[in-house]
Amino acid sequence: MNGHIYTSANQREWLRVLPDLVRARELLRDLIWKDLRARYRYAVMGFLWAVLEPLAFTLILAFVFSVLLADKAAFLRPDNGPPFTTMLLSGLIFWQFTATALASATFSLVINQNLVKKVHFARETVPLATVCVPLVNLGVGFLLLLGVHVLLGGRLHPALVWVLPVFGIQFSLTAGLALIFSSAHVHFRDVGNMVNVAILFGFYASPVFYPLERVTQSGVLPAWAVHAYLLNPMAGLLTAYRQILFDGHFPDWTLLLWPAMLAGLVLVGGSWLFRRAAPTFSDYL
Amino acid sequence: MPIIEVDHVTKVFPARRGARDIRGRGGLADWIRGRKTETFEALKDISLSVERGESLGIIGRNGSGKSTLLSLIAGVTLPTRGTVTVRGRVASLLELGAGFHPILTGRENVYLNAGLLGMRRAQVDEVFDRIVAFSGIAEFIDQPVETYSSGMYVRIGFAVAAHVNPDVFLVDEVLSVGDEEFQRKCRARISALREEGKTIVFVSHDLGIVNTLCDRVVLLDKGRMVLRESARKTISFYLRQVGRERGVHTFAAGPLEAILCEGRISLFHNQEELTAPDGFAMFVQSLGRLHASTEADWVLTRRDPDGCTAEGRMMRLPLKYFWDLQLTPDRLTWHIAVECERETPMNSLDVRLTLTTAFTRWMLGDLSGVFPEIRPSDTLWNMLVWPSDTPLDDTRAAILPEEENEAVPRLIFRTTPLRPHFNLYWVNSDYAAYCRILFIHTRFPDKDAGLPPGRHELLRVEIEPAAGRDLLWRRLSPDRTISAGKVSACFERGWLKLAYDGREITALIHVFSSMLVQHLWNDSHTLHWGEVQNDGRCLRVSGESRRFPFFQHWEAEAREDGIFLRIWLEAVEALDAQEYQASVVLLPEYRAWRSDYEEGVFPPFDAKADKWRHLNKIYLPGKRLSALSSTLPSVTLEVTNDAMQFRMTPINTRRQENARVLQALCSSESGVFHFDRGRHLIFEGMIRIAPPGS
Repeated sequence: MNGHIYTSANQREWLRVLPDLVRARELLRDLIWKDLRARYRYAVMGFLWAVLEPLAFTLILAFVFSVLLADKAAFLRPDNGPPFTTMLLSGLIFWQFTATALASATFSLVINQNLVKKVHFARETVPLATVCVPLVNLGVGFLLLLGVHVLLGGRLHPALVWVLPVFGIQFSLTAGLALIFSSAHVHFRDVGNMVNVAILFGFYASPVFYPLERVTQSGVLPAWAVHAYLLNPMAGLLTAYRQILFDGHFPDWTLLLWPAMLAGLVLVGGSWLFRRAAPTFSDYL
Repeated sequence: MPIIEVDHVTKVFPARRGARDIRGRGGLADWIRGRKTETFEALKDISLSVERGESLGIIGRNGSGKSTLLSLIAGVTLPTRGTVTVRGRVASLLELGAGFHPILTGRENVYLNAGLLGMRRAQVDEVFDRIVAFSGIAEFIDQPVETYSSGMYVRIGFAVAAHVNPDVFLVDEVLSVGDEEFQRKCRARISALREEGKTIVFVSHDLGIVNTLCDRVVLLDKGRMVLRESARKTISFYLRQVGRERGVHTFAAGPLEAILCEGRISLFHNQEELTAPDGFAMFVQSLGRLHASTEADWVLTRRDPDGCTAEGRMMRLPLKYFWDLQLTPDRLTWHIAVECERETPMNSLDVRLTLTTAFTRWMLGDLSGVFPEIRPSDTLWNMLVWPSDTPLDDTRAAILPEEENEAVPRLIFRTTPLRPHFNLYWVNSDYAAYCRILFIHTRFPDKDAGLPPGRHELLRVEIEPAAGRDLLWRRLSPDRTISAGKVSACFERGWLKLAYDGREITALIHVFSSMLVQHLWNDSHTLHWGEVQNDGRCLRVSGESRRFPFFQHWEAEAREDGIFLRIWLEAVEALDAQEYQASVVLLPEYRAWRSDYEEGVFPPFDAKADKWRHLNKIYLPGKRLSALSSTLPSVTLEVTNDAMQFRMTPINTRRQENARVLQALCSSESGVFHFDRGRHLIFEGMIRIAPPGS
């Protein structure tokens, strides 16, 4: 009739992921919308919170590090680098995106089990929608970052457009991990807790509130530890954002090589793994 | 090409990781040691195909794999072995409103849910208004659904699923939710979808709807396909097959066989099923929800070859049914009691006896009629009898098949309420259920009170097949019939129906009387008649006029040669009457009449006559008037009290009434009869019935 043919035999085929997602694009949009509406529905200020939250966050940080902990901040800050507040903020908003996205996406299938158990649809949409939700906070946060940057005497370079491809790498990486973690969590409910621990660890193991140079050029750590540290893709990504924003040029491509490779690997592997597991999720929910 | 193909499908559910199984295994230690936890094989090598436009029912006991099969077809999970192919879009009504997010509004949820079912936004826009109209909650559509009642939830869920316009519909027990009116709406919608040529796969415990909606029915038992036949065959087999299990009992006596299956009774006569698939069951309406006895958890406490006793505990109500069933070769006796553990609010308590449409005529007390055809447009029950609002006691009803139908017997129902407030109705069901229903209904006067705690005897229902029509009639109303020799008479609502040798000879309004007061005729059948006192030979009954302050008392005695009738007027206040009469309305077969003075024939009926036409020429007071026929017994109306002056008048009715009348009329000529307060004999006479030819 309208060409819909369902066969149980080809449900695990990886190549069908992309066409399935294209077909489910409206559903994906609806699911994102659902999450956003659900989050802000009963708040009097509604979507205003999406702006207020990062703004308040920025103000608090600025206050803490420029007044209370000014000396500590001076220690962490490279001598000729950007002001500590913008440095911190640039790391924080991008880190926060990955952290929130992973934490919520891991549980997304279990939370939406009433859908998964009752209706046949492209399962990928559930974790992917969850990954997309913090994009709103990121976008607002990024605008605030630019504002603070200009306020503290920074310049807006045309090189800022390079943020997009770099973020593309980060998004692919996050989406791939979300697919892996969420499907793993369906089978092993310990995964969710592990992810939470890993995110907390990652916060300190990534150059969020300190610049990468503090690790690579401190001379405190042995060489192998520095290499191990650089295996964390967020190290390269967060530093790349800073280089674009503060130095105004395309980031050091060596920083991006490893994260890009890893992101591709994780995205392909994650979607393959997810496809393998997705058709029988409902048996484990 | 079949639209659904299930090919050698086996489904094994894996053990849940991290959860301990029955033996307590499956913890971390076992998992590290690699010890396997138990799996569950829900379906074993199932193959079936469904053609486009076909509707397939899946029945079976709980845990037989019905829902698993449905979710495999829905694509919610994959078969462990074998393949499932569906050539078309599927909408599953597996659980209505499952995908609803409580915080979103009804409108947003409609779009989201329709999107999950595979619809594009533009397509939803098109049918959105229809969805809202169907759900009937237009004014709440922009409210968050968490403010909805569960009923509204289900409504909007069904409305979406019913309008996504897929090729295949999967329906799983959704019709057991919502109020009765909505259930009917759902059934009607599903019937409509079926008529549009959609493919429907249907899982239900409601065998009635499976029977009407499904072309074929698959019976599953412990994951295996047991039977795949026409709906009727499979359902009948199912009822018998599960008979060995708990809560089910088959018993028989003579030609009667009955099956009690989890709160539903099916009755067979010479292997012919008399009940509709819904059988006999009970329903309690409590706090807006209808609870069926089939939802209860049933245990048999007595199993005999010809009867059983069962206890059914309702899951959602503090209520327990006690059913006692006993078969004898000529009747089924069903004794119903309930026990309320706590104060239970009840709006109504019903017993529904559903019967096949082979039955076409009904009788209830002294009313009777024909069931109209059930048409596809019938989405509601069609009440045929709405008896008086006075509570009934011992009542008889009967249901009859077409005269030519030899296979199905006439059935007589005798209901003896052991508590008040029972009412009986004959009902035609909606099109989806397609059956006749004797609906025994209790409406509790105080809506929220229901029954107090404790055990209550409610009702006894006796069902007996009756062979002949006369037998049926006598069984149905023995307390109103008097007889002597071949003569018999039955009092019905203000008239006496006469029969000779089992054959009725009176017609229309039979033997009646009337009195002209203030230019209004007060026919005896317009009075309100009380209980009949009857010893089988002589009956006494009193009727009250609600228009004028008088009663009529009738006394009729059956004798070998006729009926002796006396009528008294009891004036509550002084009463003036212009005329009064007593008449015998006879079949049109009566051809000739003879009075004290003259004789004549009843002429053919005059098409133009607009009132009853007197046939005699001499209007003198007389004593005797006879009607003669070649085949029927002759009837003579004779005034036996010499003090009474009656003019005896033969009458032809209008053509549409088609009857001959013998009338004894007492006319005051010019003035009025004045009756003082008190009792006056106004008629005393004999209706003589003599064999034809004598």
